[in-house]
Amino acid sequence: MPLDPLSTTFAALADPTRRAILARLERGETSVTELAEPFAMSLPAISKHLKVLEHANLISRGREAQWRPCRIAPAALKDVDGWLERYRKFWDENFDRLDDYLQEMKAQEANGKSPNRTKSKPRKRGRKV
Amino acid sequence: MDAKVAKALKITTPSDREIVLTRTFDAPRRLVFKAMTTPEHVRQWYGCDLMTLVACEIDLRVGGAYRFTMRGPDGVDHTLRGTYREIAAPDRIVFTEGYVTERFTSDEAMVTSTFVESGGKTTLTVTVLHKSRENRDMHLKSGMENGAGESYDRLAAVVAAMADAA
Repeated sequence: MPLDPLSTTFAALADPTRRAILARLERGETSVTELAEPFAMSLPAISKHLKVLEHANLISRGREAQWRPCRIAPAALKDVDGWLERYRKFWDENFDRLDDYLQEMKAQEANGKSPNRTKSKPRKRGRKV
Repeated sequence: MDAKVAKALKITTPSDREIVLTRTFDAPRRLVFKAMTTPEHVRQWYGCDLMTLVACEIDLRVGGAYRFTMRGPDGVDHTLRGTYREIAAPDRIVFTEGYVTERFTSDEAMVTSTFVESGGKTTLTVTVLHKSRENRDMHLKSGMENGAGESYDRLAAVVAAMADAA
């Protein structure tokens, strides 16, 4: 029985290799040979994964060249706003942590811990305080 | 909280080749500059939930190099690296920035950060100038990879649950 489109998409995404292929294609189109390289997989095995992704409309394959470049399908691509959102999230979180950390630095200075040389013992690691 | 609103990050793309980030911090610029240019401090705040900062090297002098490497949950390293072009602590710093992962290396962008202090608070403005629009868009997209992976993982979990229920 044929799967409905959403199930086809889910099924295509339910495999780590295929998700890795998509992640790679988000950085730009490439050939099957190049895609296969990091996976230590045979070309036919990779081609099979690509067919699943293509069937789910997650990627498209060029016809213009013999190497048939693989690219992420426009529908699966986020637009610039979507990219901006992730980029924003990354920097928003980082700058929030930086601001928290700056308060610690200020407190340290206030406690008389060498204002210009905080080069002290390694602090506790990790971003969460 | 009012202070939070005032401090909120602003991101704009004033031209095809630029990304500009602005953020105000509740600290003098001397500290902000130091927190952003000293490895022991950078390690305390830089990163994200999905990636771990595994290398942080900073040779803070004109011509000196820096390298930040983050490792994703898939074990793939993502490195930002470049060279300092201008250092005027704590006013301004200019460096090149390239993104390297696996077998991909981006063109270098020019990053200019300015630190303006007023009433004990510092407004940081980071301008990333890319060589082309494509490069800029790819930069904006680069943060997406792991986020996308995360959503796919969530989808996969949903699929698994659906399969179990069936």
